Amino acid sequence: MKGRFNIQHSTFKNVFILIFIVTLHCALFTAAEAKIYIDITSPSSKKLPIAIYDLQGPFGKEISEIIRDDLTFTGLFMYIDKTSYVETPAQAYNPGNWRPLGIEAVVKGGVSGAKELTVTINLYDTFEVRPILSKQYQAEENLIRQMAHNIANDIYTALTGTPGIFRTKIAFVAEDDGEKGIYLMDWDGQRARKMGLKGRLVLSPHWSSDGSKIIYSSERGRQWGLYLLDFLKMSEKSVFVSRGTNMAGDFFPQGDKVIFSSSKDGTPDLFTLSLKDSSVKKLTASYGIEVSPAVSPDGNFIAFVSDRGGSPQLYLMRSDGSEIKRMTFEGSYNTSPGWSPKGDRIVFSCRRGKNQICTVKPDGSELVQLTEQGNNEDPSFSPDGRYITFASDRDGKQAVYVMRANGEAQKRISPKGLRSSGPRWSPN
Amino acid sequence: MKKIMAKASRMNKVFIVVALAVILALFMLLTGCQKKAVKPEAPPPAAEKQPEAVAKPKEKVPEKITEQKVEAVASKDVAAPYAEGKEGMFADILFDYDKYDVKDSYKAEMMKVSAHMTKDSSATLSIEGHCDERGTNEYNLALGDRRAKAVKDYLVSLGVPSSRIETISYGEEKPLCSEQNEDCWSKNRRAHFVLLKKAGK
Repeated sequence: MKGRFNIQHSTFKNVFILIFIVTLHCALFTAAEAKIYIDITSPSSKKLPIAIYDLQGPFGKEISEIIRDDLTFTGLFMYIDKTSYVETPAQAYNPGNWRPLGIEAVVKGGVSGAKELTVTINLYDTFEVRPILSKQYQAEENLIRQMAHNIANDIYTALTGTPGIFRTKIAFVAEDDGEKGIYLMDWDGQRARKMGLKGRLVLSPHWSSDGSKIIYSSERGRQWGLYLLDFLKMSEKSVFVSRGTNMAGDFFPQGDKVIFSSSKDGTPDLFTLSLKDSSVKKLTASYGIEVSPAVSPDGNFIAFVSDRGGSPQLYLMRSDGSEIKRMTFEGSYNTSPGWSPKGDRIVFSCRRGKNQICTVKPDGSELVQLTEQGNNEDPSFSPDGRYITFASDRDGKQAVYVMRANGEAQKRISPKGLRSSGPRWSPN
Repeated sequence: MKKIMAKASRMNKVFIVVALAVILALFMLLTGCQKKAVKPEAPPPAAEKQPEAVAKPKEKVPEKITEQKVEAVASKDVAAPYAEGKEGMFADILFDYDKYDVKDSYKAEMMKVSAHMTKDSSATLSIEGHCDERGTNEYNLALGDRRAKAVKDYLVSLGVPSSRIETISYGEEKPLCSEQNEDCWSKNRRAHFVLLKKAGK
């Protein structure tokens, strides 16, 4: 009896060891496959030293410059200047040329063609011989910037394991010849263009979650209305006009419903508007002001501004208008809330003498102030949550700025001399 | 006999456990590590064997870069129901910072407006609400709305029919004074009166 028990026991033991080995084996190889060069979730991770050659051929220098700017702004890379490269562009890649310099990634490539350009990109990890990214791109000459941003996205993804935002856009309001209008620019401030939408007064645009539409408010003929621009149809539609002040607002994630603030019944309250049947539903009813509603990424919550407590503060409620809770208690003027894409932080304008940009958790904890100079308003997160765009008058005229979500690397991006406000980062 | 049966069944159990474990191990090898197993291990070409500086890409078909064309859109003009009317007949009603209550000191001015509206029964009054620039855009528009409405409510309480009073908020968008000091800001925190005429008359 004893012997049999022993046999059985050791069999079980062997089985467990076998299972353990197989599991370990799997875990090891899965980890090795998805190699992450930079852990973007770690705030303290060191910058990755990267060499980026001027691509050989037409527009090569220009394309490389855009890739460098994109990657450098993330704060995750340290661009190593060309002067220290040992290999000439014509020489083949050899990891031995790079490791002694401490460079961990190398981008090489070339451009061919005239009007239709073909770019070849090779991204090397200096601990391997083969490229970790090897790809060709084709673009018309007028799409060079877009192509360079695409390449930067691919390099970023190869090294961080997450999508890049370098082809996203920022919609904003600008004033030109005394008339306001909606403008669109690349996230780096290039290619700013007027959408031609007019109105004596126009407020900040808001994107649908698929990026195909924006909604904004405009005063036309002494009435504030909500207008919708469809980028696929390239047409503008009036979606709500009434007496009183009507201000968008935000899309719900499905894109078939918007939330807005309207004083049509008296005081400014929050309403939802169905874009399918134009039905309007009232969500709040207070004597004071309810304005600037922002829908959480999952569509379940609304962050908004109310003066019900005596001063403008941020509040949070369920999207049916229930369970209203105050979010901010510090300072006497907190407005313009916007959600991070994960829904874990709210960015807003906080009064600290002048208006600054702050972020806070939706439960009101962990308040952080990100700006210090001038007046800063209308903040909006990038779709990956790593950057924030906002309007500031720190250099005189109001302009659009971007910064990292921790407040680093603040810079103006809107064209100099163009009075710009109300920026909103596109979702894609 | 019973003992032998029991022994056999115990041996069976052991066999089943081992068999299951082997199946599980095989399954995990085939599926759990499938990526690794299936991934073709191309021999790494030696650096010195690459004849060209620009290595040929593995993906044969280049990615075509395109962009959704964004054309300028023309907004339709909205005809104003009223032509621009007469301004300056009444003084502006000024407000304290971030406040929208009409101060008692404006009682005389309000009486004057009310008297005019009673005398000229065809007149329509527009009250514009304005704010100083220190607030943020949307909140200021809501604040301007409340200021215009507060003045309207006051006039209605004096007997002016609600239907003859329009309100509109301009927030901080139309400052009267553009310097950055309290003197200037106090002039901008105002409700402004405009007597309207129906458009086309």
